[in-house]
Amino acid sequence: MLYSVNEPIDALVIYRRGAPHPLLHAFRWKDRRYDVTSTHLVHREREGEAACLVYSVNCRDETYVLRYDIERGRWTLEAVESAG
Amino acid sequence: MQRVIMHVDMDSYFASVEQQACPVLRGKPIGVTGRPTERSIVVAASREAKRHQVKTGMPVWEARKACPDLILVAGNPERYLSVTKRFVEILKGYAALLEIYSVDEAFLDVTQEAAKHGGPLRMAEEIRRRFREELGECITATIGIASGKTFAKLIGARHKPDGISLLDEEEMAALLESTPVGDVWGIGPRIEARLERVGIRTLKQLGDASETFLKREFGVYGLHLHEIGRGRDSTPLVPYMDVPPPKSVGHSKSLPPDLRDFRVALLILRDLCDKVARRMRRLGYMGRTVHCGFRIGSIGPYCGKQTTLALPSDDGEAIYEACLVVLDKIPTRPEQVSHVGVSVGNLVETDRTSCALLEADQRRERLNRAIAAGEVRNRVGRPVDEPLEGGLVREDGTLLYPIRDGIPSLLADEAIEIGKAEWPVASG
Repeated sequence: MLYSVNEPIDALVIYRRGAPHPLLHAFRWKDRRYDVTSTHLVHREREGEAACLVYSVNCRDETYVLRYDIERGRWTLEAVESAG
Repeated sequence: MQRVIMHVDMDSYFASVEQQACPVLRGKPIGVTGRPTERSIVVAASREAKRHQVKTGMPVWEARKACPDLILVAGNPERYLSVTKRFVEILKGYAALLEIYSVDEAFLDVTQEAAKHGGPLRMAEEIRRRFREELGECITATIGIASGKTFAKLIGARHKPDGISLLDEEEMAALLESTPVGDVWGIGPRIEARLERVGIRTLKQLGDASETFLKREFGVYGLHLHEIGRGRDSTPLVPYMDVPPPKSVGHSKSLPPDLRDFRVALLILRDLCDKVARRMRRLGYMGRTVHCGFRIGSIGPYCGKQTTLALPSDDGEAIYEACLVVLDKIPTRPEQVSHVGVSVGNLVETDRTSCALLEADQRRERLNRAIAAGEVRNRVGRPVDEPLEGGLVREDGTLLYPIRDGIPSLLADEAIEIGKAEWPVASG
């Protein structure tokens, strides 16, 4: 089940040489740190003029969908998908 | 040297991408749809759904009947295109000649490159490994390798999903003997039925048939069919950078059940004509052949006909008027229409550079004298035999578009090159 969140977050990313996009290492949401345990898919989307990267990642058992607005350098937690 | 052609076909593509993005969908029967409603159709089914006979193009209600646990997922085209760009980037590293056949299929000519990777099979394994590592474990591909596109696709289709197969020339005879013609890429039910009527059911029988007979029955395509029946396919790859020009521009729409009235269909058709015209203008084309059609009732027959305009057009109003002419040709006037569509073909390029009016002075007279003397040809080499009543000169002074009956023609083919001419109209 997908729960919409749409809240700005802080992200810790790694710009690895040769990687097609920055690797999301962890993010902070509601004063709690979430370490990314696996990245499922990163794809590019456009929002009007702005280009975004959409990350689908897992932090332990839960899946999170995050959006990185490349132009503005802003990270947003879009949704949380819980297996339960 | 025999070609080595690789066909890369992503397995259950849209569904696999969704399962990759969302782990809770993995291992479950999912159907990707336009909108997850009962009226929608399944545009892609996951492997698990396919096991329940859910097929691409199946209406949602039918898919749910076949698989009650089916999870519907709204499609995300940007997500699929983004993944396609990534797998194409990977493939570009393996062959100089790459054809992107569709969003989830590509052909590679690896004749030169295969040896560097230890042969085509090793190369295919490497591609598959990179897909797994760089795209994700759910996004798999089936790779078929043969001496031509048709056979690479055919052999690949027999090893789906996540398979790699190479067709040896020694195996060709057995393959031709055992393959029904309908399994071959490009042979649809109509051609299959026509071949069936003359007793051709397998590729071998196709190869044994007379070339003259096949040419008489199917035209030039008959020669291609004969070659395929002989185990030969020299169809060239179309490099991804050579995007062929469109043959037609069209739009269609399915009507919701409560709006399946012929009058509503006409309103929608008017809108579709504008949409088609807008797209043609954006692409820089005008068209002459207007095809219009509709589906009677919810599952009734499709009725469609076409008409040809006197002059090419990219105007929504003109296209709609042509559609009305077409509809008059169709004897049926159904009460209920579930689908309506329009397309414009016979396209010609248009010129969007700004132009200035050719002044009605000596220059035009000089050009008309040259026309009368048979000295003027248009851009495609056809003689211009009618005198000009006026013309539009392109901004850069290289081309002149004739005005006839008060209408300027901005068709590239009808333009007259004036830059090189001995009757320099631009310089006075």
